[in-house]
Amino acid sequence: MNKHDYLLISIVMIIGVSFFIINSLVSFKASKAYVYYDNELVQTIDLSHDNLKEYTIKGYNGDVVIETMKNKIRVKEETSPLHLCSKQGWVSSSLEPIVCLPNKVVIRIESSKEEVDAVVR
Amino acid sequence: MLVLLLSGCNHITMVSKDLSYMNTYIGIKIYNKDTKKMEAALNNIDKMYTEYDKLADRYTSYEDIININYINNKLGINERLKIDDKLYKLLDYSKRYNDQTNNLFNIALGNVIDTWVQYRDGIKTGVPSITELKNSGSIDINALVLLEDNTIMKTADISLDLGAITKGYVTELAADYLDSIGLHQYLITAGSSSVKVGNHYDNDRYKIKLTDPRPTNKYNKIVKGNNIAITTSGDYERYYEYDGVRYHHVINPNTLFPPNHMLAVTVINDDAALGEVLSTTLFLMPIEDGLEYIKQYDGVEAVWYGTDGTITLSKGMSKYE
Repeated sequence: MNKHDYLLISIVMIIGVSFFIINSLVSFKASKAYVYYDNELVQTIDLSHDNLKEYTIKGYNGDVVIETMKNKIRVKEETSPLHLCSKQGWVSSSLEPIVCLPNKVVIRIESSKEEVDAVVR
Repeated sequence: MLVLLLSGCNHITMVSKDLSYMNTYIGIKIYNKDTKKMEAALNNIDKMYTEYDKLADRYTSYEDIININYINNKLGINERLKIDDKLYKLLDYSKRYNDQTNNLFNIALGNVIDTWVQYRDGIKTGVPSITELKNSGSIDINALVLLEDNTIMKTADISLDLGAITKGYVTELAADYLDSIGLHQYLITAGSSSVKVGNHYDNDRYKIKLTDPRPTNKYNKIVKGNNIAITTSGDYERYYEYDGVRYHHVINPNTLFPPNHMLAVTVINDDAALGEVLSTTLFLMPIEDGLEYIKQYDGVEAVWYGTDGTITLSKGMSKYE
């Protein structure tokens, strides 16, 4: 291999790596979730991992069990009369906070640019 | 919260505030250059929701105000009571729409709702019989008499429940207030089922995503518009299941049962209060009847989510594409 080959390989590699980085930035969606109890931030959860993870937060009525997967989060179990939080299911948008009013727990997602201004179910 | 939006050379700022009222979450965003004015407006809107939350409260009494709890539990039959002008107007508004909706929109369902809540909360098991529901107490809205000078009277032992109207009613008042002080660019999210937007912050239209009433997220439609309210009534919150049947919280005053005509209906119009009235009303009638019914209202469109997953759109929905 001569000098030009090394140069070519380097250029290809740089383009490849840049592409990978840019691509991962663009597909960067819901990266972090913030969990609040009584309006105080109690936990920050990283959502960039692929595997299922479980967290337990102390709510007003008891434990609030949270599950996360890549770019999404849900409440799995809660002690509340209507279970509105767990019924909401998986969330991956900053526009749909999970609000567990009886437990005074709010989960908000930080995500990159949203395609819409609001979501109505 | 304060966010800077770099739109053109105008440095428009967004201020936002999240409130928890009426068993839900209210998010307010205002876009303008005048941060101080926006902050002051947010505080005033917070006060509006606080005040109406107390006035419309069925379950709690407060020392300093006469509210729905007082009217339901303390006010005697045929006894006259002078109430807050704001609450009087809210009752008057709700009662007027009872006439227009052939009694489908009824704020006097409290007695029947209480019976259903006992089953939903598991205090009783199964499904109430029609006899039990009928014996729950009066649901005759005409037993609420609105007299002159903010004075009211009950002629029967009805129980008022303003759960279907207050949130949208206050949201509309908040939007009116923002417009009246020259803050025309705003977005108010009242729970997951209602949004009201003003003018756009960047000469565009707001994009609001309507999602599936079931968590499968199969249906995603984007509605684009300014100065509109979007309100959904559905069977997906506050329900219980028995023998494979879902019993949700929106009760038909004529049958005393929750209907199963559809999964949900979303109303798009320019008024969040009327949006609540109409989404509730449409939810209580078959889809074909609803398509006919909304023709009497100008500028009201709707999206129905059928029980089999079919989506029905009213004719004018295309203008929000």
